[in-house]
Amino acid sequence: MSRLPYVVRKLMYGIPLLLGVTFVSFLLMVYFGPDKTYELLGKNPTTEQINEVRHALGYDRPFLLRYSQYLKELATLDLGLSDSSGEPVSSILTRTLPVSLMLVLPGFVLGNVLGLAIGLLAAWYRGLWLDKLVISSSVVGMSVSFLIIIIGLQIMLCTPYGLNIFPVRGWQVHDLVSYLHHATVPTIALVLVTLGYNTRFYRAVMVDEIERDHIRTLQAFGASPVEQLFRHVLKNSLVPILTRIMFSVPFVLISGSLLLESYFGIPGIGLVTFDAITSGDQPILKAVVGLTGVLFVLALTINDMLYSVVDPQVTRS
Amino acid sequence: MLKKNHIAILSVLLILGACGESPSTDSGVPAKTYRHAMDGAPDSLDPAQASSVYANQIVVNLYDTLYRYKYLARPYELQPNLAAAMPAISDDGLRLTIPIKKDVYFIDDPAFEGGVGREVTAGDFVYSIKRHFDPATRARGTWLWQNRIEGLDEWKANGSDYNQEVSGLRALDQHTLQITLTRPFPQLVHTLTQGFAGVVPREAVETYRLQLASHPVGSGPFKLLSRNSVRAVLERNTRFRSEPFSLQDEGYDPQERDTTGMEVLEGGIAPFVDRLEFEFITEDAARWNAFFAGEVHFIKVPVSQFDNVLSQRNPLTLSPQFQDVYQFEASPEAGFIYTNFNMADERIGYHPDPEQNRRNHALRCAMVKAFDWKKRNEIFFYDIGRVFPGILPPSVPEYNPEGDHSYIERDLTGAREFLLAAGWNGDNLPVLEYGFPNSVTERQIFEQFRNFMMDIGYPANKIRPMVFATYGDYQRAYSQGKVTLINSSWTMDYPDAENNMQLYYGPNAAPGSNSANYNNPEYDRLYVAGAALRESPERTQIYREMNQLLMDDCASFTGISRTLLFLWDRNVIMKPDRSFLGGYFMRFVDLKDLPPP
Amino acid sequence: MRRTWQGLKSDRFGMGGLLIVAVFGVVALCVWTGLLGQGWSEVSGERWEGASTAHWFGTNILGQDIFQRTLFGTATAIEVGLIVTFFSTLLGMVLGALGGWYSHSWPDEIILWIKGVLDSIPFYLFAAAIAFALQGIHWAMHLAMVLTFWTTTARIVRGEVMRIKEREFVDAARAIGLPGLTIVFRHVLPNTYHILLVQGTIVFVAAIKTEVILSFLGLGIQDGVSWGLMLAESSQEVLAGHFGNFMAASVFLFVLLMGFNLLADALQDAWDARRAIP
Repeated sequence: MSRLPYVVRKLMYGIPLLLGVTFVSFLLMVYFGPDKTYELLGKNPTTEQINEVRHALGYDRPFLLRYSQYLKELATLDLGLSDSSGEPVSSILTRTLPVSLMLVLPGFVLGNVLGLAIGLLAAWYRGLWLDKLVISSSVVGMSVSFLIIIIGLQIMLCTPYGLNIFPVRGWQVHDLVSYLHHATVPTIALVLVTLGYNTRFYRAVMVDEIERDHIRTLQAFGASPVEQLFRHVLKNSLVPILTRIMFSVPFVLISGSLLLESYFGIPGIGLVTFDAITSGDQPILKAVVGLTGVLFVLALTINDMLYSVVDPQVTRS
Repeated sequence: MLKKNHIAILSVLLILGACGESPSTDSGVPAKTYRHAMDGAPDSLDPAQASSVYANQIVVNLYDTLYRYKYLARPYELQPNLAAAMPAISDDGLRLTIPIKKDVYFIDDPAFEGGVGREVTAGDFVYSIKRHFDPATRARGTWLWQNRIEGLDEWKANGSDYNQEVSGLRALDQHTLQITLTRPFPQLVHTLTQGFAGVVPREAVETYRLQLASHPVGSGPFKLLSRNSVRAVLERNTRFRSEPFSLQDEGYDPQERDTTGMEVLEGGIAPFVDRLEFEFITEDAARWNAFFAGEVHFIKVPVSQFDNVLSQRNPLTLSPQFQDVYQFEASPEAGFIYTNFNMADERIGYHPDPEQNRRNHALRCAMVKAFDWKKRNEIFFYDIGRVFPGILPPSVPEYNPEGDHSYIERDLTGAREFLLAAGWNGDNLPVLEYGFPNSVTERQIFEQFRNFMMDIGYPANKIRPMVFATYGDYQRAYSQGKVTLINSSWTMDYPDAENNMQLYYGPNAAPGSNSANYNNPEYDRLYVAGAALRESPERTQIYREMNQLLMDDCASFTGISRTLLFLWDRNVIMKPDRSFLGGYFMRFVDLKDLPPP
Repeated sequence: MRRTWQGLKSDRFGMGGLLIVAVFGVVALCVWTGLLGQGWSEVSGERWEGASTAHWFGTNILGQDIFQRTLFGTATAIEVGLIVTFFSTLLGMVLGALGGWYSHSWPDEIILWIKGVLDSIPFYLFAAAIAFALQGIHWAMHLAMVLTFWTTTARIVRGEVMRIKEREFVDAARAIGLPGLTIVFRHVLPNTYHILLVQGTIVFVAAIKTEVILSFLGLGIQDGVSWGLMLAESSQEVLAGHFGNFMAASVFLFVLLMGFNLLADALQDAWDARRAIP
């Protein structure tokens, strides 16, 4: 089990990373983030009241003290209460995270599966008209801004100027039908925006694999295309594919869902995070940053370990 | 790799986990639900923190206040709510005795002994006001009663100990309250209609602390069922006091077109609906669509849709295609929008050198004259806003339709003359920072303002935008003097012009509500003189003088009152309003019985 | 590089992309030198006029000419793209080269750590914080992008440098006694220029797209106009049936991004003969 010290070493490497992320984020939040004070004051505040609120929010304590407090809170998962609504941050997270997942997962999965399938096809029929069509379509897909897709889809599907079959916004989900009703347009938007990038990526990876000698050998031996594709090409490209998927998860979940949620009025974590960013709700931000930091570090570590599994040479370096 | 089955199971679990609520009562009969669309979301539902329209409207349905306004009477008239009658006021106006209704109960909640809500007493009201003066509450309504109630400020200075009595705020017995003021405050009863004055039980505060903001425990007509960042659901409070609805009491006027259909409500017990659903939809487009699709019953029409909704401006007429489907009301807002100069900034405001002071005054007046109120009204308020001079809008009796309107009429030649006479030109004009919280409309308003000034030769690069992420940030910046042109809107807290006059009272300078840092000793003297008076010809005279002083100093571009358009479903019987933060009408909303779907 | 140019010339799509980019570049230049788009803030018409000879794309709510605003938006987009691409490439190049040269030793570890930290901070938090910190300064948004985009470039350069330094000419240079830094910057790095070029175009696209979203959210440009701001305006107007802002910004944005993507693809193909489509 010479792998164990390697794994441990990799995890330990994650700690300075986590410290760095939390430190920089906290620095940004405290010194450069919006100040919640005035939102919590009445119409005619006095200087005394301002200082009281600042004290209540902890703004007047020294930075390092607040930072170490933050680390302690993260370690014990004592995430505190939101500065705006007073709701416990942990309950906000448990309430919004599933919603975001439900919103983003279908689009994410569909976007990747379709991208994989189309990329595979394009790589297999490389140079032929299908491939060229796929390439040009994905370039088009990459050139359209997410915003335009969202606004455009809304006009086309949710307003009287278009088909008007889906709701403009909202999330009243209590069964499969209402889920489809609310999640369809955002899912389409997500798929459209990621399909171009995904297809190109998967095509490039597949092309790389197909060009490899052992595939030519298989072809020479007369193995069926399906067999070649699935058992060899796909299996070997697993690592870069998994890496990409893993790295995109934290970002798709939080940054990616942000636009969708604010535009479609879906109470997920992206919207909560964005509101917290622009209103300076530090407890929520601290929790979200901590969460993404941990997820990212985990993704990084698992990714490194996967590479070491595939290529034992890496372990020794 | 996840197997297909696992994915399916996971999805189902997620769906179940993120489920919404189904709107039927226990008996399986669909509940009578009123769906209200709001163009913003409340942050806290703690009465002491209900500073926004959105919070106030929900809070007054969850909690009781001593007084409210009559449902149908216009102009607004006070009506006892939790109080049993209007207050008995002593001769010097300093002592008010208020009787409280008996047999009013808080909702059941684990915070109470045995989980059963107890009776509301006068002591609860005392506690609720006291907590505004306890820093731990993070209250936002303190300013209403600051320096007004005997002993309250000292109570705070002494550490906010709830076991200590406050001489000016006493419960004479379980159902009688006595308030003693330090100086006359004719508007006190008005302040008791605000969500800030909602009655909160001590047990709930001590159990939930800051989480009271999301866990309300009140005695109002409704209680909170659920709430997230896009909606809140309230359901009927079965323990709410039963008071038969009386049309006459509520100011019903059979001649009024607005109140047709209300006769059916006579004698009913409020609240008339079983559920209230609030949808928080900030984006105009989304809100309009939701209304059009029937997802909500009520909407404050976004300005971009006025063209579509109205066929005529004078008189305001609904477009034919809407007439049969919706009811509508044009409601002039109680409040106004204005832009202040930061008078504390020497580049444009007060200057110690009298000559420079005069030049600054000339510049300000030139800019005021260059402002095109007609265009502003036309583009952003669909020409149905009401422009008026100074801070006495048409909604208050002190408004003078025959008064001096020169400051709101555009006069480019006059403006240029002012600039020339005072020696201002494109080179020596000061750079001004115009601040606004980020939004598309605010940015457009800024660009329009800049264009107005460009018309008198103000170089475009000398009027700089300062964008802020939130209103709070913006407020901080202008309270610290970093912004020269401060665009704000003022929502009146109560139907009394005193609420507006304090906007320019010297001692209320930054960080207070006098964001212009206006400092005129004559104005201040008149303010104090008027503060003790109720609405009367004498006070009207004083307020109009103050208004003229303010205008002559050219300290502000003021103002315009918006006319809000409300549309609601034909089957909903109500008279909605948003004035003075509002929300009381919701307990009287009723839905006509509809045929089963 | 010559090989790349030869390869590029023969690719029609690539040349098309180059042409598109060039046209937009010229427009931007004209705006900067005051020849075009100067009337972007001027109220020259009535509210929401349709397309006409006076206003090619009509006017917006204030009566400002949408065509002028679109042109100015072009300049904004090109400016953002250029600045962000230039500085993030520079930063990424230097730090990537250093990291690759001193790979697995402490300078590399530190640079990798910085990269990891920057990559895991939610981008919008970062952009918002920088926007607040540099309140009012025009370059806040550019800075936020530069500070986050350099990591990808650095990663690529690092990989390349690590690969190249195994080659013989590097050993030879070392044998002669050339100092390490000279070898890296004078000899190794130039071999990465083609990759940097391709990556540069990708960053350009990302910068423009990000600016659009940031401006839409209010975290972007302070004064002036950009396609992001126009899209933000349009999101309120489209429901009332006014599509001027939306069409103008969308079309221009799409064409520019297409141009860049085609160019990037062509450059990539031209460099890598193996990957060229027959």
